[in-house]
Amino acid sequence: MTQRMKRTRSQHDFVPLADDSLIICRCEEITQGEIRKAVYDGMSTMNEVKRYLRAGMGLCQGQTCSHLVQNIIAGELGVPPGEVETHLSRSPVRPIQMIELAQDGGEK
Amino acid sequence: MKRYELIVIGAGPAGLSAAIEAASHGMPVIVFDENPRPGGQLFKQIHKFFGSKEHRAKERGFRIGRQLLEEARRMGVEVMLQATVLGIYDGKEVSVMRDGQVEHFKANNIIIATGASEKMVPFSGWTLPGVIGAGAAQTMMNLHGLKPGNKVLMVGSGNVGVVVGYQLMQAGCKIEAVIDGAPRVGGYGVHAAKLARLGVPFYLSHTIKEAKGKICVEGATIVKVDSTWQAIPGSEKVLDVDTICIAVGLSPMSQLARTAHCDMENNAGKGGLVSICNEYGETSTPGVYAVGDVAGIEEASSAMIQGKIAGVAVSHSRGYLDTADFNNQVAQHQRSLKQLRQGMFGHREKGQNDPTQTEEGYPLSRTLLERGYLAEEELQNYPGVRFQKGQGVRPVVECTQNIPCNPCQDACKRGCITVSGKITNLPAVDEAVECTGCGMCVVSCPGQAIFLVDDTLAPGYSGVSIPYEFSPLPAEGSKGLALDRSGRVLGEVEVTTVKQSRVMDETAILTMKVPGDWSMKVRSFQPY
Amino acid sequence: MRIENHPIIKNFEKGRRVLFEFDGKTLEGYEGEPIAIALKANGVMVHRHTSNHGEPRGVFCAIGRCTDCAMIVDGKNNIRTCITPLKENMRVETQYGTLNRKETESI
Repeated sequence: MTQRMKRTRSQHDFVPLADDSLIICRCEEITQGEIRKAVYDGMSTMNEVKRYLRAGMGLCQGQTCSHLVQNIIAGELGVPPGEVETHLSRSPVRPIQMIELAQDGGEK
Repeated sequence: MKRYELIVIGAGPAGLSAAIEAASHGMPVIVFDENPRPGGQLFKQIHKFFGSKEHRAKERGFRIGRQLLEEARRMGVEVMLQATVLGIYDGKEVSVMRDGQVEHFKANNIIIATGASEKMVPFSGWTLPGVIGAGAAQTMMNLHGLKPGNKVLMVGSGNVGVVVGYQLMQAGCKIEAVIDGAPRVGGYGVHAAKLARLGVPFYLSHTIKEAKGKICVEGATIVKVDSTWQAIPGSEKVLDVDTICIAVGLSPMSQLARTAHCDMENNAGKGGLVSICNEYGETSTPGVYAVGDVAGIEEASSAMIQGKIAGVAVSHSRGYLDTADFNNQVAQHQRSLKQLRQGMFGHREKGQNDPTQTEEGYPLSRTLLERGYLAEEELQNYPGVRFQKGQGVRPVVECTQNIPCNPCQDACKRGCITVSGKITNLPAVDEAVECTGCGMCVVSCPGQAIFLVDDTLAPGYSGVSIPYEFSPLPAEGSKGLALDRSGRVLGEVEVTTVKQSRVMDETAILTMKVPGDWSMKVRSFQPY
Repeated sequence: MRIENHPIIKNFEKGRRVLFEFDGKTLEGYEGEPIAIALKANGVMVHRHTSNHGEPRGVFCAIGRCTDCAMIVDGKNNIRTCITPLKENMRVETQYGTLNRKETESI
């Protein structure tokens, strides 16, 4: 894999925690450590973490893990969870097959 | 594209109430719901609701659900099931997926009543089969008649945790423990007390460390936490469970409100991200309303009233209701809503403070908050416990927290029990009024906190009558174990009478013959 | 696991008893009830194994949100068994990964 650009603003090395192997995003099997590392690497919003790791991008579309991801980002940044920018909410808000979307008649 | 006056998204208590209200004023309404059955979570609520008569108190949730569906049908509300709303677009257009097809609908008003989703807590092994949400437990046992497991650990002592815990026991499961990271029980004390007197231990300031098992849950390790929520090493306990049920809170399902560009706010008291609404439930997007849990986590009773208010508001805005009627009806519903939001568990109070006494100044029971049951010596502090020896049959109302609820007052035709002033005030027993021992107060209490004590039953013996909601019902004359409030076995007793009738709505009254000095101790019965 | 005698709910509405196939075995369930309910009544806990770690998963939310209960039903993968009604002679299979490629996806 190609070297990712270093975006961290931290002066220190990343500090692993004992429970970093906990699965947070059940669908994409993303761990707490990966999310913490993503924040260390400079991802500070839900959208950034989602696009960086796919946390919340699986079959359930983040319905189970959004809160957990938000809390972890907040913890790493040292801000209240409410201050972490949530991810966009766009249609379709539920999983849909491409064929169903493709057959959408639209305005009629 | 089909056009309606009103589109309601979600056929739960809030959405159905809104639709019924609007349809009753003549509006053409359609309700979309992604589930195969309407009613939202109401059909999983098999317990009696709190509140007053106008809030349908002491009725079981699933019966309220049936009535709502019947009303909706009568009013001509169109309910489209397995119809998933994918988004709300400019011009109040919604796209709906049904049978693999996407259809578009337009309306002058949209009411979002999508409810909430469960919050989760991650721990080692939480992805194992056997770890389930509390809602999943309710779905399995109360809708489909299947036990979620045999031995259950309940994570969370809020109302969902303690209510679902009791329902699990009614389904025939064993609750090995209820745990909560907080130092006190989060839900109503009366709900916790129902579990405690069946012998369920409460471990407060405890969290789950690990679900054990390779293929599915074979046990759980819990651990005590300090005031900063850090696990205390060496305090681990291993529980023999096959199911771990998570009930750590709900969060509003607000994605659709966001697709409608509603202004949002993070509101911890309301459970998370909610749209900012005016007094009628209208969001910053004109004509788009949010009601029920999606507008802030509350009970089904308040969701129904919020739905009605929004239904009245859209009817008025489209000229189906004149201004005078609108004002009257809104004022009436808002009064009713305000009542439900009072008390120590109310909308604003939730988690905001740690009171040590009720609003009237009665001390709050610490054992109730820390262990889930009232200590016998605390009873005399409360106006519902005015038991004196030699009086004959008397109600003992073990209601000690400010909860908006008063069916006990209506149940007693002789006026022995009163909830004076605010609906959240503790019920008081009037010693001067004679009790006939009819037991209607016992079965009317949604918290199952009323008992009858008769210390003149026989020389040296008292009669203790308790509400009983387990199957099979013990036979008159059968014997079993008498338990105290903490679930401790006191000894063998005989069931002298078993009362059950239609009006009691599946709550039976068991009367036990107990040694005289147990009359204020025995609160539970365990058949052999 | 079926509740025989519930103190509050006097009868659970069920369809007729039907046979279906789970990983080659014949099981019995009620027509119209969610597949996941019929499986659990037969003691089946594991519905699928995840793509990356091959972890077992089963019913988690039971209302079609989390998709942990997804399986292959009549040859179609990623079917949420907690909200899909059981039909007679349905073929239900444990799923490996999201694409059900046991060899290439799981480790």
